[in-house]
Amino acid sequence: MGATAVELPVAVERSRFHRFLRRFPMSARLAALLLIVYVLIALTGPLWTPYDPFQTSTGLPFSGSSGAHLFGTDILGRDVFSRVVYGTRDVLYLALTSTFLALVIGGVIGLASGLVGGWIDELLMRLFETIISIPLLVLALLAIAAAGPKGSGNSLLLIGVVVLVYAPRIARMARSVAVDLVTRDFVTVARARGEPVRSIVWRELTPNAAGVLLVEFGVRAGYAPILISSLGFLGFGARPPSPEWGLMISENRAALVTAPLTVLAPSVALALLVISLNLVTDGIARALGRTVERTP
Amino acid sequence: MILRLIAQRLSLAVGTLLVVSALVFFFTSVLPGDIAERVLGRESTQQQRQIFRKHLHLDRPVWERYGVWIGDVARGDLGRSLVNDETVTSTIGTSAKNTLFLSVFAFLLYIPVTLIMATVAALFRGKLPDSLISVVTLVGLSVPEFVLGTLLIFGFAVKLSVAPALSIVSPGDGLFTRLHATVLPAVTLMVAMAVYAIRMLRDNLIDVLDSEYVRMATLKGVPRWRVVMRHALPNSLGPALNVTALNLTYLIGGVVVVETVFSYPGLGKLLIDSISVRDVPVVEVTALLASGVYIVANLVADVLAMVLNPRLRTS
Repeated sequence: MGATAVELPVAVERSRFHRFLRRFPMSARLAALLLIVYVLIALTGPLWTPYDPFQTSTGLPFSGSSGAHLFGTDILGRDVFSRVVYGTRDVLYLALTSTFLALVIGGVIGLASGLVGGWIDELLMRLFETIISIPLLVLALLAIAAAGPKGSGNSLLLIGVVVLVYAPRIARMARSVAVDLVTRDFVTVARARGEPVRSIVWRELTPNAAGVLLVEFGVRAGYAPILISSLGFLGFGARPPSPEWGLMISENRAALVTAPLTVLAPSVALALLVISLNLVTDGIARALGRTVERTP
Repeated sequence: MILRLIAQRLSLAVGTLLVVSALVFFFTSVLPGDIAERVLGRESTQQQRQIFRKHLHLDRPVWERYGVWIGDVARGDLGRSLVNDETVTSTIGTSAKNTLFLSVFAFLLYIPVTLIMATVAALFRGKLPDSLISVVTLVGLSVPEFVLGTLLIFGFAVKLSVAPALSIVSPGDGLFTRLHATVLPAVTLMVAMAVYAIRMLRDNLIDVLDSEYVRMATLKGVPRWRVVMRHALPNSLGPALNVTALNLTYLIGGVVVVETVFSYPGLGKLLIDSISVRDVPVVEVTALLASGVYIVANLVADVLAMVLNPRLRTS
């Protein structure tokens, strides 16, 4: 008996998924493949890196590329190749968890606020607008500084800071979607049935806002590695000896002349990751018939 | 009508700025570490520190200090730096001038690059130049400023030696010296801003080029360049202005990174340095200034959009 009840939605899902795949452009497919490679590297890296990323004096400091050290060594003689591989874990983990948390928190608050309306909505949106009007990076720096030396380099703090700067922006977007949706019949009916806010947000608004939220997630996820590595570069993100790419680039900049690969390798790894994330987002948006809005 | 709307937005902006100032003050007032010990040194006696705290009103509760501070700021007294005892006004003044110079330089590069690249992409829609520009802008918006800046240093300072790796300027420098010193950071900022605007302006241009009146002009026999210059470009600038205003707001965060990469003594580097040494009065005013510029830029964007598009005035 359960079989038919389960099979039908799966069949519908599958055909919808196929239609989605058909519209997914080639560039986005390649980028998705590259993202899978990144995830595989992050997951399996520790099994095959030639050196421990934290072990010092594996070679002479700032020695260039060689058979023993593909990307050379850094100032402490650590193997840059192994460090770039390990850095993938840090960057992917930080960027994806923080963006996902921001999406859930911002999305729920935004949708609920748009649905409830009235002074709660007004108050929340004023608050978010205020937070948004502190430039993103300035707010992130202030928040990290306020957390103090004890919190510095803590990955939970970094995730929290990304959520703090992203969630209001996502909430504002989700709210504008909700305001549009609440005038529709299915929401009116759900309200008339006396459904609680929680259930309307979950059953009526979220499925209908899913496409917009997915694209928003992609755009934010594409910027998160830049934000996190910029903080690392400025000395406010990951702390030594972390192999986070931004921090690594800042540490190895002194060797730009003698061992340029120590800087170029993490730079290319970072740029390729962000390009892939952006291409996949553009592809998803196109397959869903939506436009991507990227603002500086 | 429109004046009333502007006045309304303006009062809203002032309100936002007040709340922002409170947020910033709160964030910086919880900055850890004993300021008294940091300024007076470890050898200072307990009594000296007490006097110092009293002098800075650090013994008062946060909201009271905020009230005093915001009152002083409103009267134009921004306080003194804890590090060198100079007034915050003079500390920030020099840096602000440097940042303004860099921003204007970057903006002057940004306008022609955006206009030309977007027009070329739109005219060659779907062909090689368009795809090329599309790839370049995608890469541009995926590469962080500090990576782009480092790559520019690698190429133009290390390999070609045509530009300095560090943007060191002193007050007496002439215009050319300054331009030469800041060319790499200006290009970095320009690229970071232009990539968004090129994509936006290209799409707008294509919409306009497809419109009835442009087709009409083409059918009438108006030359192609004239169609673009007189009809398409002016009509697609409106939405692009919004991106430009957003870019202006981006500049405020962007300079923090770019000035650090090139060790350029502007507001961004000042913010990083003063956060590092916990120079609270300087941090507060710099962050407030950044938010102020951000709010004003957004306000200008809104008002411009309303002036250019009368339909928005009713909302």
